[in-house]
Amino acid sequence: MNEQRRDILGMLAEGKITAEEAERLITALERDHPPAASSPGARPKGKAKYLRLMVHTVENGEQGRIDVRVPLQLLRAGVQLAALIPPQALAAANAKLDKSGVPFDLTQLKPEHLEALVEHLDDLTMEVDQPDAQVRIFCE
Amino acid sequence: MPQLVTVGVKRPDRSPIRVWVPVLPVVLVFLPVVVLALLAAAVACHVYRISVVRALDTGWRIVCALPGTRLDIEYSRTAVLVAIR
Repeated sequence: MNEQRRDILGMLAEGKITAEEAERLITALERDHPPAASSPGARPKGKAKYLRLMVHTVENGEQGRIDVRVPLQLLRAGVQLAALIPPQALAAANAKLDKSGVPFDLTQLKPEHLEALVEHLDDLTMEVDQPDAQVRIFCE
Repeated sequence: MPQLVTVGVKRPDRSPIRVWVPVLPVVLVFLPVVVLALLAAAVACHVYRISVVRALDTGWRIVCALPGTRLDIEYSRTAVLVAIR
């Protein structure tokens, strides 16, 4: 499904089809394959094991590719580090953030909040399509 | 715990290199350094008033969660691969 959608967007970027035609094709695609039945969101919760980042770029005619796979378990273990940050370090970081115009209180960020965030990461799919770059972040 | 780390490097006009590093033998060889690093970490935890047990537990969980990590970067005819199994 995502593959077909990407093909349509690719044809639109290459100017092979107009925006209206692309919209019509995507609508037809969604009608034939409802997102609830085929999107990663349809996967049973808790099945995702990895967070995947894929980047394809074309710069000065040179092709670039980045493919990163991080186990979600590693992220879960990593957020526990937040509980180990000393209070004086959090205060210093808060002061710097405030000075930079980001009034964010890191002391309010609890490990359980971060764990909840990681738990729901398997619902995440992010796709960015540019003529010279494609970025895709998803869980598998 | 990670068993094998694969590192691959591909450069233009040079033959590609791929190295398989067995983690356990390397850790055993560098055991004195590992022990020293753990002692230094324990002292740092004590100085910053962090629970040494909790810090070691978190560190161990991170190490144990590493298998499955894969980093693959390719640009033009140059490529780097790091995979932990």
